[in-house]
Amino acid sequence: MEPILRFEHVAKEYPNGVHALRDVSFEVKEGEFISVIGPSGSGKSTLLRAINRLIPISGGRVILDGRSVSDQKGRNLRAVRREVGMIFQNYNLVYSLSVLQNVLHGRLGYMKGLRGIFGRYSENDKKEALALLSEMGLEDFCCNRASDLSGGQKQRVGIARAIMQKPKLLLCDEPIASLDPSSSKTIMDLLWSMTKRRGIACIVNLHQLDVALKYSTRIIGLSKGEIVFDGAPERLDDTMIEEIYGTSRENLMIGGTEDDKADTVNCA
Amino acid sequence: MNREKISVKCRQRNRFIPGFLIGVAVLTVISLLYLKIDWLKMASRVPDIGGVFWELAHLDFSNMDLIFSSLVETVSIAVLSLLYSLLLGILFGMLAAKNVFKHPILSAAVQSFFTFLRAVPTPVWVLLMLVCLGMGPEAGVAGLCVHTTAFFTKSFAQSFEDIPEETIEALEVTGTGRLSIFFNAVLPASLGQIVAWAGMRLETNFSECAILGMVGAGGIGYVISNSLQGYDYGTAGVAILLVFLVAYMIERVFVRIKRKFN
Repeated sequence: MEPILRFEHVAKEYPNGVHALRDVSFEVKEGEFISVIGPSGSGKSTLLRAINRLIPISGGRVILDGRSVSDQKGRNLRAVRREVGMIFQNYNLVYSLSVLQNVLHGRLGYMKGLRGIFGRYSENDKKEALALLSEMGLEDFCCNRASDLSGGQKQRVGIARAIMQKPKLLLCDEPIASLDPSSSKTIMDLLWSMTKRRGIACIVNLHQLDVALKYSTRIIGLSKGEIVFDGAPERLDDTMIEEIYGTSRENLMIGGTEDDKADTVNCA
Repeated sequence: MNREKISVKCRQRNRFIPGFLIGVAVLTVISLLYLKIDWLKMASRVPDIGGVFWELAHLDFSNMDLIFSSLVETVSIAVLSLLYSLLLGILFGMLAAKNVFKHPILSAAVQSFFTFLRAVPTPVWVLLMLVCLGMGPEAGVAGLCVHTTAFFTKSFAQSFEDIPEETIEALEVTGTGRLSIFFNAVLPASLGQIVAWAGMRLETNFSECAILGMVGAGGIGYVISNSLQGYDYGTAGVAILLVFLVAYMIERVFVRIKRKFN
């Protein structure tokens, strides 16, 4: 099966000399649910943003659905981008607009000329958006201002907007980092079921190791811009975790055992 | 015993403030000398101020039809110039905002062009338009539009640039074009601020309109200056009172509207 996404020796060096990514290569196939884990500053965000060229790479190639992303510009780049949905830590909705309008924003990339500029969505798109909102349990809020929603609800709108693009690949940048544990579970369950049902490949940046272990079909561990682990969650043993985070597994759990606490303080 | 006075000031004082105060004092003396103000004559005329205001307070409603029609004319000039400038201001504000087209040269060019337009005061623009378009309200509308558009371009561009970069990024990744991003995300998100700016500007335009009548662009200003020159203080008093009432009303209405938008 042809992979949806292929990284070939991708490197990224920022103008200030920081090497965010070094020689990163991997492939993503349809239906995979991949978690990218690693400490802060290990290049997780850069990796995700290199896929839809929000950050241009400085070496290697990113191939999305058979097309090299780094060569695309203008109209072609937009055509590539609309096939990749993205979800953000801070939801990034337009809060003065209605929930439905925010969901329909996912269709703007497909609309040409004045129809797009004035937001004249087709009745089909509207029906689809409403169906998606009721699948998310937000049908009662479709005409509310997006600013009236809670954090978890806002993130559900973010997911609906990304799904409206009919993407082949969904990128999630710390989707639950601003949410409470119960909303986090709702969001992760939704991401899992929505992408499974539609056969969308999903790449999630995560801080929470336990969440990554529970949901992923595959885990990529990044450390200092390099892939140090790439495989099934079962294969991620304690020595691997120590290599990724540079500290033992016990130190990553906030609610650790009593004698762990001194250790944790030293690590923070 | 120590006889020396204790200093209560900071050891490192800001040397700019005394320098500034000395500068102001020097400039004041120079201006007074240059203008050769006749203080005695001015002092002898001070009681006349009370007299004129006393005359103005004797309201004369006999010219009410003229006053009213010119007041409506002034309001219309203010509203029309506001409407045209709103549309032009959104258009040029979009070009001037750095985050809409991400084209630094374009925004710098638009910004500096409108800074130039703003530097020339409104009455000068109206006089220029009077020369170009002839006497009448058309010149008033056109002249007011130049300055108001320049003002809106700057303030709207600022409002657009206040939209978080992440919000724009979220639409960029859906493959949406720059113009669609502007009309579907940036503009709706800054609508509340645009209304606030428009209300503030309508007030300014109305009072400026009153001055413009005096240079020949029609409206209530013409009535005021005409009746003052003809010592018809009663009519001028009514006109001035009405100008105040309308300006106050505009302010109250927009305070209400703004509250609804937030």
